[in-house]
Order: sequence, then C-alpha cells, then structure tokens
Amino acid sequence: MSQLLLALQAGAQVLFAALLLGAGLPVIFSLGMRALAYGAGGTAEVGVDMKPHPVGKALAGLCFGVVVLAIVLGISWIVGTGMGYSLVFDHLLPTFRKK
Amino acid sequence: MIVLGMVILTSLAFDFTNGFHDTANAMATSIATGALKPKTAVALSAVLNLVGAFLSVQVALTVTNSVIRIQDSTGAPNAALTANGGSALLLIVLAGLVGAILWNLLTWLLGLPSSSSHALFGGLIGATIAGLGFSAVKWVGTDTKLDGVVGKVILPALMSPVIAAVVAMTGTWLIYKLTATVAERFKIEGFRWGQIGSASLVSLAHGMNDAQKTMGIITLALIASGQWHDLHAIPLWVKVACATAIALGTFIGGWRIIRTLGKGLVEIDSPQGMAAESASAATIIISSHLGFALSTTHVATGSIIGTGLGRKGAQVRWGVALRMIVAWLITLPSAGLVGAVTWGIGNVIGGIGGAAVVFLILVIFSSYMFWHSRKNPVGHHNVNDEWEASADEALPVESVKEVVR
Repeated sequence: MSQLLLALQAGAQVLFAALLLGAGLPVIFSLGMRALAYGAGGTAEVGVDMKPHPVGKALAGLCFGVVVLAIVLGISWIVGTGMGYSLVFDHLLPTFRKK
Repeated sequence: MIVLGMVILTSLAFDFTNGFHDTANAMATSIATGALKPKTAVALSAVLNLVGAFLSVQVALTVTNSVIRIQDSTGAPNAALTANGGSALLLIVLAGLVGAILWNLLTWLLGLPSSSSHALFGGLIGATIAGLGFSAVKWVGTDTKLDGVVGKVILPALMSPVIAAVVAMTGTWLIYKLTATVAERFKIEGFRWGQIGSASLVSLAHGMNDAQKTMGIITLALIASGQWHDLHAIPLWVKVACATAIALGTFIGGWRIIRTLGKGLVEIDSPQGMAAESASAATIIISSHLGFALSTTHVATGSIIGTGLGRKGAQVRWGVALRMIVAWLITLPSAGLVGAVTWGIGNVIGGIGGAAVVFLILVIFSSYMFWHSRKNPVGHHNVNDEWEASADEALPVESVKEVVR
C-alpha cells in the first residue's frame, strides 16, 4: 500500500513538472509564432496589406529565446548531475558547482 | 571466458534491438507529418542516441538491483554466484537477455511498440526465478522507498502513459487554441522546427536512459568473471560498444513500429507532433531525474494518444491502442517465461555447452523472425502509406464467420 502512495506522490510530481515544461514550453513557442506572424503583417497571402510590426518580431525573439534557454539549461542540468555537478543559480546566473 | 564473450555479444544484441525498437518513440511523429524525411529522421535520432549514451556517465552498475537480488547494494555480485568464473551469474544474465531479445523481436514483427526495459527486466526476473527461486526476486520495496517489481516496474508503467497523455492533451489543446488565427504559412515552418527540436530531445533522453542499462549489465558480467574490479567506473570500451550498438539499432530503424505509432494510432498533424514529443521529452527527462523509472515506449504512446484526444475532431484508433496495451501487459511475463525456459535448458546441459545452446537458440529464433519479416517488409519507402484496417483487426470478423459456418 505504501508503495502505491509513494508512486502516486512521485507521479504527481512528474505530472506537475511535465505539464509546466512539456506543455508550457510549446505554449510559449506558439505565442512566439503568433508574435512572428504579427510582426510580419500577419496576412495569409504574401504581399497583401503588409504592415510589419517590429514589436511582434521582438516578442517572437523573446519567446523563442526562452524556449531555447530552457532546453539548454535542462540538458546542462542533466549532464552536470551525471558528472557530479549541481546547477545552482547565483544571482540568476546559472553556475555549476561540484557536489 | 567463452561464456563471458557470449554474454557480452548478447548484451550488445539487446542494446541493438533496444535502439531499433525505440526509434519510433522519438521519430514516428516527425516521419508521419513529413517534418523530416524517414532516412534523415533515423540518422538524426541515431546520432543523438550516440551522444546521449556518452553523456550518461552515471554508474548504472546497480541496474538489476531494483528487481532481482544478484548483487549487493554497492553493485558487487553476490559471492555465491561468482564461484567458478561467475558461471552461475553469467547463465542467469545470458538467459535473461535471450528472453528480452526474443520478445523484442516478436513484438517488432507484429509492429507493436512494447517496452524494451520491461522485456529486459522480465527476462532477468524469469531467469532468476528459475535459477535461484522466487525469493531472489525483489517483489515489493520497503515502506520508505519505491522499489521492487511493483514499485519500479508495474506502478510506473500504469501511471506514465496517463501522465504523458494528460500533458500532451493539454499541450495540443493550448497550441491549437493559441495559433487558430495565425496564417498557415507561418505555422508550417514554425511547427516543423518545433517538432524536430522536441523529437531530438526525446532521442537524446533515450540514449542517456537506455544505453546505460546495457553498460551496467556488461560491467556486472565482467566483474562476476573477475575481469574488472572497479565498482565505480565502466570500462571505456564497454561504453563505446554500447553507445555504438544502440545508435546502429536506431539507424536501422524499427519501421514496423514507426508505422504503427505514426500512422496507426492517430492521424497526426505537425502541431500535434510537437505537442506529443514535448510531452514525451519532458516526462522522460523529469522522471528519470526523480528516480521514477519509466519506459520511453509507454510515455511516447501515451503522448500520441493524448494528442489525439486534445484536438477537436481527431480520432484515436482504440483497436490499435488496445493491442498495444495487451502487449505491454504480457511483455514482462512473456520475456520472463522465455528467460526461465532458456535458463533451464542451459542449466540441464551445463557448462560452456549449456551457454552455447542458449546462444544457439537465440540465433535460430532471431533468424527465423527476421526471415519471416522479409515476406512483408516495411521500410522507409512505405512507412507512411495510408493505414487500412489491417488484416489482424479484421480477423475477429473472419473467425466469427468460420465459427458460424
């Protein structure tokens, strides 16, 4: 019985974190795409009513940046842990520290 | 020494089947939506598996400890099994691996994505029961830690597809909602890259997760036979050999399984592909970090079903899903049965001869299944063909007619 509780607890943790990253990052990515379309005028046909919005482009860059950064940090975290390092955030800057 | 050689060869063969059985988990969706050409997809996945295998430097020597008792907690094999060059331990491992490989090949032949880790654990459990009795299997963990067959294999297997499905469903629903007003020409390229990126992550995670199991088993065999003594390191050549085997397997590609996952379960569109692979990558990476042992296959299948549930109007072919679930349920006992029987055969004959016969059984059955697969080949050329209600799904109707007659 206790095994079931432990599993449910671990499962809930996984579910929560996976929702955050596995659904959250694609959402930010989609927002980036939306911003990109807005930045380029957003029309379905090329050349019709093109009114570029620089803000859209900047927002898109920000969104894609967040996604890429999250992935890079995630991979470094895993690789670092495997090699006996832990990733800590010193004043928001990611740094590796030997365990 | 000869037996050790056979164990190493068999381990690498398992690693190879592990690779090609699981190519689909990462790449089925990208191939189905055309984000990547089939051959490019398997090549990319192979390279990332190779990289992942080298990145996984955690010592996986205690990989068998969660289900069977043939090692102590430091990873050293039990003294009782290492006498006579470790032949008792080697035979258990060999028989277990044969069970795992044969089950992997059979499910591949049927195009079913079953879990390679379940096959491995099942084979080892079966061989252990036959060799050392029921008490040598760790069925349930202690109160404070998830462990044993129940805690490390059965419960995670029940929960992980559901978790992945919920994540993929949520992701799919949100993505469609958010991009509904975006013009098609922006979406095509965007989702294509999203898909390739997320599928690559799954491949990398797979290499990190799965290759180290084989590394652990080969190292265990080396220690048991007195060829290696360091409990905290894996010989470099073992690492290279395992990484290469899993990458080669991935490159060959289990096209039958890719077809089932990519075309059979749900008709997938690129946004769904991205949602499914992101959900898989996140679930696999997070849970392996939390020590929640799960199967890449179960997660990938759960994600694909979830993405079918999350999109309005999309259909999940529940008949196909049901066949898969049945395959999952019987993977552990079936591989276990083969492991137990081959251990029995090897033990009756005994010595090098016994191990050789076990090895021969593996070669004969594998060749037979490979030969059988050539009658109806599935490859990169026809992997994306329209999915028709296949012969076996129509089977019940036919057999009913037979009975009526």
